[in-house]
Order: sequence, then structure tokens, then C-alpha cells
Amino acid sequence: MPMRIIGKTSIDFIGLRRISFYLSAFLVLAGLYSLVMIFSGRGNLGIEFAGGTMVQGNFDSPVEIGEMRRVMSEAGFDDATIQELQRDVANSYVIRTRAAPGKDVKIGMQIEDALRAAFPDNEFHLDSIHEVGPAIGKELRQDAGLAILVSLVGILLYIALRFDFRFGVAATIATFHDVMTVLAVVYFLDKEITILVISALLTLAGYSLTDTVVVFDRIRENLKKLRRKSQFVDGVNLSINDVLSRTVITSLTSLLVVVVLFIAGGEVLRDFAMALICGIVIGTYSSVFVASPVYVEWENRRPRRFK
Amino acid sequence: MQRRVTWVWVLIAVLLSGSAYALWPTIRIAAMDDARRQAAEEKDPAAWMRLKRKAIKLGLDLRGGMRVVMEVDKSKLNPAEAKDAVDRAKEIIRNRVDQFGVSEPLIQKQGQDRIVIELPGITDVRRAQELIGRTAQLEFKLLEPRENVQRILDRIDLVLEARDTTRREPVPEEEDIFDIFSDTIARADTAQLVDVPGDITAELAPPPIGERPFTTLLEPVGNWFRVVREDAAWIRRWLEDPDVRTEIPPDVQVAWGSKTGYAGGLAVEYLYFLKSNVELSGKYLTDAQPSFDQFRKPVVNFTLTRAGGRIFARVTGANIGKSLAIVLDDRVVSAPEIQSRIPDRGQITLGGSDYEEAADLAIVLRAGALPAPVNIIESNVIGPSLGADSIKKGLTSVMIGISLVLLFMLFYYRLSGAIADLALLMNIIFLMAVMATLHATLTMPGIAGIILTVGISVDANVLILERIREELRTGKTVRASIDAGYKRALVAIVDAHITTLITALALFMFGTGPIKGFAVTLAWGVGISLFTAYVITKAIFDLRKGYKTLSI
Repeated sequence: MPMRIIGKTSIDFIGLRRISFYLSAFLVLAGLYSLVMIFSGRGNLGIEFAGGTMVQGNFDSPVEIGEMRRVMSEAGFDDATIQELQRDVANSYVIRTRAAPGKDVKIGMQIEDALRAAFPDNEFHLDSIHEVGPAIGKELRQDAGLAILVSLVGILLYIALRFDFRFGVAATIATFHDVMTVLAVVYFLDKEITILVISALLTLAGYSLTDTVVVFDRIRENLKKLRRKSQFVDGVNLSINDVLSRTVITSLTSLLVVVVLFIAGGEVLRDFAMALICGIVIGTYSSVFVASPVYVEWENRRPRRFK
Repeated sequence: MQRRVTWVWVLIAVLLSGSAYALWPTIRIAAMDDARRQAAEEKDPAAWMRLKRKAIKLGLDLRGGMRVVMEVDKSKLNPAEAKDAVDRAKEIIRNRVDQFGVSEPLIQKQGQDRIVIELPGITDVRRAQELIGRTAQLEFKLLEPRENVQRILDRIDLVLEARDTTRREPVPEEEDIFDIFSDTIARADTAQLVDVPGDITAELAPPPIGERPFTTLLEPVGNWFRVVREDAAWIRRWLEDPDVRTEIPPDVQVAWGSKTGYAGGLAVEYLYFLKSNVELSGKYLTDAQPSFDQFRKPVVNFTLTRAGGRIFARVTGANIGKSLAIVLDDRVVSAPEIQSRIPDRGQITLGGSDYEEAADLAIVLRAGALPAPVNIIESNVIGPSLGADSIKKGLTSVMIGISLVLLFMLFYYRLSGAIADLALLMNIIFLMAVMATLHATLTMPGIAGIILTVGISVDANVLILERIREELRTGKTVRASIDAGYKRALVAIVDAHITTLITALALFMFGTGPIKGFAVTLAWGVGISLFTAYVITKAIFDLRKGYKTLSI
């Protein structure tokens, strides 16, 4: 007998839709709130979008953050924020400031100099400097925006071509729900929003859609065989139960690689991996508890298939 | 049916051998340790370069190094010059970087005004930024004669005094600043032009008396002035004042020295009054070499073209006894006295800096001056330790991720899972081969792209195998189940791949640098996955016409 993680199930998913509706509404609202916050400048936008300077490095021995803040202030960077990094290299810090490259000013190196001068007995090893002028920051924001736009339009077009109208709308709502949820997670965990994170959001939109497609394909197949309206909800439930194994395992295998990335992949990719993990999980959830119920509700209120 | 299957196998064989060929350089280089690589490079640098070019390159975030985006400031150029200013700047920078000796630099034009420069492996960031960023405009100008300078200073003083509402005593009798000598010495940064050795004395005057706000801050030193650092800010501000500027005739240029000095324990800067006319410019240089002068101080010896030599001889011949200022980027490096007529060569003293500075200056002089100033608008420096760390982590997670997936498929789907695993491995091999062929660069996001490809590829196989299981449960024959499984799963697989491809394309179009790397690996990976996960596994299943049972 083949190994099965999920055996034959018969869960009334559609029946649960009341609860899931409230949960999903909450998530979407959180996401919209985050979106508004980010656009009004209160999100943790990465250096490449906001402009500014970011210096990352580590010391041989521990340093007090308050002390470093004072040093930065004295060097002229009053708005410098200092964070200790959780890395396998101890005493790692990242320093951020709005000051950006001007004509002859090399801020990253100024910061490095200030740190070295202030802590002469504690050697500072530079890991990276990223300095972005305001012009570039603005362009990168525009580029990211365009990438998002093109992506979404492409996906929408694809949905429109592949599905009939109602499936398409339901799938779109589910995908939107997923992206909003992960955005909320990113915002409330105060993760830096870099172009990588945005890539993760776009990728998970694709993932979520695929998962929804798997479920909808089966629903469509099964509904073809049904004649009576009373069987409609049962039909949808049956379909979901049928494909449960499939969607859970595809999510599992994707999660496998992304979780490894999260744990072992290093700081650069950690936030990216986290966004994807959330995205994959939520993507599976939304196919079952958002897309399908939406479709069902719509059909219930305005029957088209079963008149 | 038979013929079609053969076609697939031929294709697989071709692709595998093609991949092996494409990846061979990468494998060879990766297998060498640092010592062997060094030896190979020294033995035959050209061949080594060719080999490296065919291997997969590591991005800056994995190798360490510097990436800089520079914008060419075309504001002061006329339209004709502006048109090719960026291209010229690009070439000059490339020249400088080549001489600096960076391996595999990347210098590209971006848009109308920008140049992107990537220097892998750079550790001395300051030096590198200096090297690529300085305009290196070399000009020789004569010093303005004393009387004229005096007159200008008088006028500036008057203008500034007129502003002072709390007037003190009127200005006392004018005194010529230069008339007062003293025997306190400070060694000014003067050296001789090469041909005639000799010695130089500097002449000093005590601080001037009177109410002159401007002149008070200037201390005459030789044929120019010394200004205490704190006062220099005042001088600078005044020099930008429009009323003061009108007092300076257009044929006079006020320039600061390129170095600071120390006098009486205080940091000082040097101020020069030059004739605006450029007697000779850097474009007449044929060569510049770093060296040491007779005082063991670093210098740059330069030689001039024939035309340049003639001009130089004329200028020096007509101005013996006067000072000729060597001006680099509107700052005076030195202003030695012309002792005799000089035909075609000269020496620039840098005043007590280290040899590295002379070497770098020689590089920029040889490569030529940038046609316009450049501003660094974005810079990204990755230290080597972070780079090495990233590679290790990135590759480790890829390996672990792939292994876990392979194992899972094996356990959950048994032999059929093994077939899927085979397809997955081929997917990765083909993907790497494509990257090597395209001379793509592997970045950290690129590694993420590979990992995502693994995820999507496996998903495709899961969809197929789950479907087959389902068909088997309905009682179909093995053969029929397999065919049905593949047929039905195709739609969902294509959906997943296309939506991911759309995202990858959008990111590729609008992303820069590392994100492009992510998009490229993802796009190719997903595309290849369609082939390996579907076509290849099906071909393997089709090897047998009929099955009794299926290990799934």
C-alpha cells in the first residue's frame, strides 16, 4: 500500500466558511492597513527604496548600543538607528541613517571611521556598506511598483483566459487575500521591505494561484457530473477533500525547501524565506477557505449553473 | 509510439552531454584549491581568463567587492560634448580600472547619464572610489603677480568692511603684504622642476595689521597664502559671496591647495591666486610614472607630447622666475618656481604622501581626465568575509533542501518517486549549464531562485503522481492510470509554471542587479522544469508498455 499522509477525508469545508470568513476578513484588513502605513512612509522600507546608508559590521568584543548611538550622533548622524543582528558571528550590528551620498561625501566610510576612532581597542570588521542616493531610491520604488503592476496584470489576464468569470474572480480574491496577509506579517514584524521581499510577495501570488487552480480544476470536473443544485455544496466539498492530499503535499514539498532556506540560508535570504513560508501556508488555506466559499456563496445567491 | 520515445531519449542524451560540456570549466575551477588556481593563473593568464569566462561567475554579494553607480554631471558641457561624455568617461574609467589591476571588472553604461561599475574582490574601498571618481583634470597655470593680488585683496576688504555695521577705525595706510619679511621659516610645498636642482627658501610675513577682514586671515607664504583651518571656512564663504566675486576679475582664479599642512601646531590650508588661463592641460601627457625625488618623497614624473613639449618650453621659457601651479581638479598640488626652460617633461611633488598616492595619480593621469565630474549616487560594498559566509550558507541550504526533497519523494512515492528525483537532478544540471552558457552570474537571490525551482519542479511531479494514484484507486490498469494521470495533471502544471514565469519576467524587466539574477534563474528553472518534470518522467514511464504493478 502506498504511503499516505492524508487518507480519505470528508470534512465539511464549506460549512466552516463562516469562521474562515471572519478570519480572512481580519487578515485582509490587517494587510490593507499595512499597505496604507507603508505608502505613507511609516513602513520599514529598505535602504534601496528610501535612500540612505546602511553599514553592517561586527566587533571583536561586545559594544553598548547606547555608546554607539552617541558616537554616531557626534559624527553628525543624529538619526542613526542601530540594531544588533542575530548572526553566527557575535557582536554584529547594522547601522542605518537617512544621510545619503552627496558630491564628495562617503557616508559609509565616515561611519566606519567614526566607529574605529571611538573604539580603538575593539577591532571593527566591515561586512557591508550600502549607500543609496535619493534619486536612485525613487527610481527603485518606481521600478518595484511597475514590476508589481505588470505581474498582477499578467496574472489577472491569465486567470481571465483560463477560467470562467466566477472562478476567476474567486481566485483573484484569494490571491489578493494571500498577498495582503503576508504583507501584514512583514509589516507587523517590522521586517525590512527590500526588493527581495517584494519578489517573495510576487512569487507567492503565483503559488497561491496555482494551489487555487488545483482545487478549482477538480471542482469544475466534479460539477460537470452533477445535475441537481442540492448536490452543489456537496460537490464542492467532495472536490476539496479529493484534492486535499495533493495540495497539502505540494505545499509540504515547497515548504521543505523554503524552511531549510530560512534556517540555514543566512540573513540575506531569511526574510525572503519567511515571507514565502507564510505565503505557502496561507496559499493553501485560501484555496480551501477563501476561493471555494466565495464561489459557493456567489453561486448560492445568484445561481447560474443550477437554475 | 516507439519512435516518439526514442526521440526523447536522444534529446536527453544530447542535453546531458551538452550540460557536461558547458559545466566542465565550472567544475574544474571549483575543484581547484586556491594554490592550484594561483599556479594556473600564473602559468598561462590568457588561457586562465578564457577558462574563467566559461565558468559560472559568482556575484558581488557572494564574492565580496564593490558596486558603484555614478552619474556624469553634464551641466557644464555643451551639447556636442555632452553627447559622448558618458561613453568617454566609461572608457577612461575602464582604463584606470585596468591599470589598477582588478580581475573581471564590470563597467557598463546605464541610461543616458550613468555608469555602473563592479569591482569584485576589492578590499581597499576608499582607494577604489578615489580612483574611479576623481575627475583628474590636470592643468598648468601661472600665478597671478603680486601687485594684482594685492589690488584684489584690497578691493575685497573694502567690500567686506562696507558690510560691517559696527565700524571700527578706518583702515590704516595700505601696506603691501609682501613687503614684510621675517626669518621664521615654514617649508612650503615647493619642489623644483626636474631639470635644475637647487634649493628653495620660502618667504614669510608676519600677520598683517589693520582691519582688513579678508586679508587678516591670509598669511603670506612664498607666492601664496596659508590659512588656518578654522578661518578657511570664512574665506570659502566669502569667496562665494557675489559681491566679493565681482572684485575678482575673470582672468583670475582662486584655488585651494590639495593638501593641508601644519604650522605652529595648527592645521592650515593653502590658498592660491592663479591666472585663469590654462597654459598646458593634461591631455598633452604621454606618460606619467610614480617615483621618488632626491628627498625620497613620492613624486610623479610625466612626459609630454611633441606639441605639448613645445607649449611647455614656450611657457617655461617666457616665465623664468615665476611660479607655475600644477592644478589637479581645481586644487593646486604644487607651484614650483620655473628655473629654466623645460622642453618636455616635469615632476609633480605630492608633498609627503605615500607612494600609493603617487601610483594612483600616475594611473589617472595616464588614463586621462574625465570629461565631466561624476557623482556616486549608489554604492554597495560587500566585505569578503560576508561574501564567503553567504556562499557557504547559500550552497548548504540548497544541498540540504534538495536532499530532503529527494528523500521525501523516495519514501512517499517509492520507485516513481525515484524517477521524479532523477528528473529533478536533471533539472538542476540543465539549469546550471544554461547559466554557464549565458555567462550568468550567480547571486544570493539567484540561489533562492534555484531553490524555488526545486519546489515548483517537485510540485509538478507530486501533481502527476497523486493523480496516478487516484486513477489507480478507481481501478484502471496501470498503463491507463499513468496516461490519465499525466494528461489530467498537465493543465495544473502548466498553470503553475506560467504564473511563476509571469512574475519572473516582470521582475526581470524592472529589477536590477541581484534581482535580475533571481528572475533569470527562476525563469529558466521553471521553463526547464516543464521539460524535465513532465516530458522526461513520462518518457521513463513509457519505457514499459504494460505494467503489472507500479511502485508508487
